[in-house]
Amino acid sequence: MTDQSLSTRVKVERSMARRRRAETRFRLYGMASILFGLLCLVVLFGNILSKGLSAFEQTVLTTDIYLDKDFLGLSRQSPESELLNGDYEGLIKEYLKESMQPSGRSERRDLYSMVSVGAHWQLQQLVVNNPNLLGDTVTVELIMDDEIDQWLKHDHEKGRHGRLSEKQTEWAQQWLDEGRLKTRFNVSFFTNGDSREPELAGVHGAIMGTFLTLLVTFALSFPIGVAAAIYLEEFAPKNRITEIVEININNLAAVPSITFGLLGLAIFINIFGVARSTPLIGGLVLTLMTLPTIIISGRAAIKAVPPSIREAALGLGASRMQVVFHHVLPLALPGMLTGTIIGMAQALGETAPLLMIGMIAFVVDVPGFINDPATVLPVQIFLWSDSPEQAFTERTSGAIIVLLAFLVVMNTAAVMLRRRLERRW
Amino acid sequence: MPTSGTSMEIGFNQHISGQFNSDLEAIRSQMMEMGGLVERQVASAIDAITTGDTSPADEIIRREDDVDKMEVQIDRECTQILVRRQPAASDLRMVLAVSRVVRDLERIGDEATKIAVHALEVNGNSSGYCQQSIRYMGVEIGKMISGALDAFARCDVDGALDVVRNDKLVDQQYSAALRELITYMMEDPRSITQAINILWILRAIERIGDHARNISEQVIYVVSGADVRHSSISEMEEKAHKEDDE
Amino acid sequence: MSIIENHKTDGQPFSENPKLKARDVRVFYGEKQAIFDVSLDIGANEVIALIGPSGCGKSTFLRCLNRMNDTIDICRIEGEILLDDENIYAPKMDVVPLRARVGMVFQKPNPFPKSIYDNVAYGPRIHGLVHHRDELDEVVEKSLQRAGLWNEVKDRLHAPGTGLSGGQQQRLCIARTIAVDPEVILMDEPCSALDPIATAKIEELIDELRENYTIAIVTHSMQQAARVSQRTAYFHLGQLIEVNPTDLVFTTPEHTLTEAYITGRFG
Repeated sequence: MTDQSLSTRVKVERSMARRRRAETRFRLYGMASILFGLLCLVVLFGNILSKGLSAFEQTVLTTDIYLDKDFLGLSRQSPESELLNGDYEGLIKEYLKESMQPSGRSERRDLYSMVSVGAHWQLQQLVVNNPNLLGDTVTVELIMDDEIDQWLKHDHEKGRHGRLSEKQTEWAQQWLDEGRLKTRFNVSFFTNGDSREPELAGVHGAIMGTFLTLLVTFALSFPIGVAAAIYLEEFAPKNRITEIVEININNLAAVPSITFGLLGLAIFINIFGVARSTPLIGGLVLTLMTLPTIIISGRAAIKAVPPSIREAALGLGASRMQVVFHHVLPLALPGMLTGTIIGMAQALGETAPLLMIGMIAFVVDVPGFINDPATVLPVQIFLWSDSPEQAFTERTSGAIIVLLAFLVVMNTAAVMLRRRLERRW
Repeated sequence: MPTSGTSMEIGFNQHISGQFNSDLEAIRSQMMEMGGLVERQVASAIDAITTGDTSPADEIIRREDDVDKMEVQIDRECTQILVRRQPAASDLRMVLAVSRVVRDLERIGDEATKIAVHALEVNGNSSGYCQQSIRYMGVEIGKMISGALDAFARCDVDGALDVVRNDKLVDQQYSAALRELITYMMEDPRSITQAINILWILRAIERIGDHARNISEQVIYVVSGADVRHSSISEMEEKAHKEDDE
Repeated sequence: MSIIENHKTDGQPFSENPKLKARDVRVFYGEKQAIFDVSLDIGANEVIALIGPSGCGKSTFLRCLNRMNDTIDICRIEGEILLDDENIYAPKMDVVPLRARVGMVFQKPNPFPKSIYDNVAYGPRIHGLVHHRDELDEVVEKSLQRAGLWNEVKDRLHAPGTGLSGGQQQRLCIARTIAVDPEVILMDEPCSALDPIATAKIEELIDELRENYTIAIVTHSMQQAARVSQRTAYFHLGQLIEVNPTDLVFTTPEHTLTEAYITGRFG
């Protein structure tokens, strides 16, 4: 007896080493996969941040410019329509020509191209807002062209010309030495809509478009998804038809998203005549896409409500409706919200279906409502990544950072909301 | 493991708990052992009276202690079973019955000792008062004790009823012997001392019969669940068989 | 252990003053029959214990008494169950008021994840039994007192019910059930998740509740059945084998199956 138990103990101890090795090995595998994931993330973020952070800075030239009433042909009493039409562009060119003394036409053209085409809007804005400035000398930070911007950000320190000509580099260096050429925080990136000029292009339009689209998506998919989940889980009779419905919902979750775009195009646009390129149609299509996710997670959340609670309520004589609304729903809501947020996050990053319904259009204006033409962040990113100008590369990364920030904010909000709801013991 | 007699009529002989089975078996077999001892005590005592050979009397008085210890021991085990197993139905009846039977056996042992004591007193001048009756009653109660124990072992209601009927005969014999003794005493007052000794012996034998009857009643209780104490024979038969119908 | 076809229940399944009467109740789960022709009376103000080995149908039968089995789609019930001579399976019978009359306490304490007060107040609220806050307060206090919980929780009525101990939770569930003032209380192994002291308190409570309610209790503990009930019904493989006064069942059961079960020879 003693012998036997002893030998058992010895055997167990012998096998312990093997077991411990297996355990350690498994733990190492786990750590390795997590490290790999982290590495990928670091590389991805590093890449995006290194490329994109500079998008939040903009090169400007501090200029004292005399608002010549005669040159502009304006007076302080001129009506706004006239103020808008003043030749501000000419004024800037005149200023540049006088201060830098270019020789010949090609040098002049080079000089003029160093300032952004948007610069004269700055002057225009200044004058329209305050006509009394006419006849005075004002100090403005003129937005420079994207090529100067890129030169300053990337080539200057390395002593390269980049895409600038020798003369342009010389002038830029001169301004730099005078301390007038510098970078500042890029406000217009957040306040402007899209533009052909990289230094003027901003994500405001895309952010608004995304926001409105998600608003439509949420407003439609959450109530519909929750209602469908509750009905299927609590009320629907278990028969062939509901089974087919269930299977199809599960299948829908796996359908390629571009198919939903096609569906939206065929049904919402061609049959119901919804305007294309709007947050409304975008929201409708994304609703189709997120609904299966919300329904499936909603049903899982309902299933997770302990049956004992249901029984307790039924046993007290609560009707099925009362059971659902007094007990099941409050307990399932946090889970449902999580599912919804996951669906919304998916929708936030979705591009393919939106291409089908025309949200790829070049939209300069910031949408004000769900039926204005709009674009969304991922589509904007897609568009910019396709543009030839080098400056758009950094805008692309910048927009990705904005998109990620959007996601983080949404998820944080979801977690907080969930925690708040779950607090009710 | 031997089959428990009480569950003979039940299709499920074994408890789920094997320990419970053996506990029950243990008190039963100890009770039987005690029964055997008591039976021998009684037989020796009757022998001592009828043969006039008083040599076993001391032995009987000595073994009285063993009987008492066994009673205490078995009773303690019954208590243990009640506490640990919370027996129900036939098991409960079995434990209660064993506990009651050992008390009866102990009393029988006491009566046997009394007989032995009186046997020593009458020793030497066995004048032969009521010898016939004592011998007859002695045989009868011997049969009753062994019959009751057998009935218990086999859960035999009919055997138990036979014992009860026998008790009637012993009682009748006792009354007859009493009358006989009275005539002796009236004839010859000098014989009174001797006669009283015999009277005590007769009385003890009669009590043993009553205890054997009690044991038989417990057999009926165990088997049918009917409590037949203080009932007439006909009531007993009726109750004992009522629940055999199923 | 052979099963007896169409066994006629031994003992006294019928009562002189019945509150609930089950007649030839058969229950099917799909193709499988779970209960075979059970006829049983549950007398007013009595505690009847339903005992039997696992899967014998005692819980199923209990749940038929307030139609909790309705929630199981494949469950089909034949026969009649009469509550005060009214068939609870009649088509015009509404389960909601029925369950207000026949309350249920479950195996695992299942308070709602709400406050103690709201747990007890839930029934009266949904059934519209009270109209003012004061009345509701009174009902809650009375129910908790009857359930023997008032002194333990009166200072923390708005604490979560799930924060109580197991025994307290179960008494809270009983308080919640009696707040609706039912006529019958069904208890499905109410003490199986509780420690002996909590169990003793619940058993004491059951004894007190008998004055006002009719109680049917399913239990796996035969000692418990012996302690709390006046009559005991033994179920075996879906059949009602024997019903008798509890003291008889536990000393001299009529049927050999009952005997074998309560003496621990199977089950």
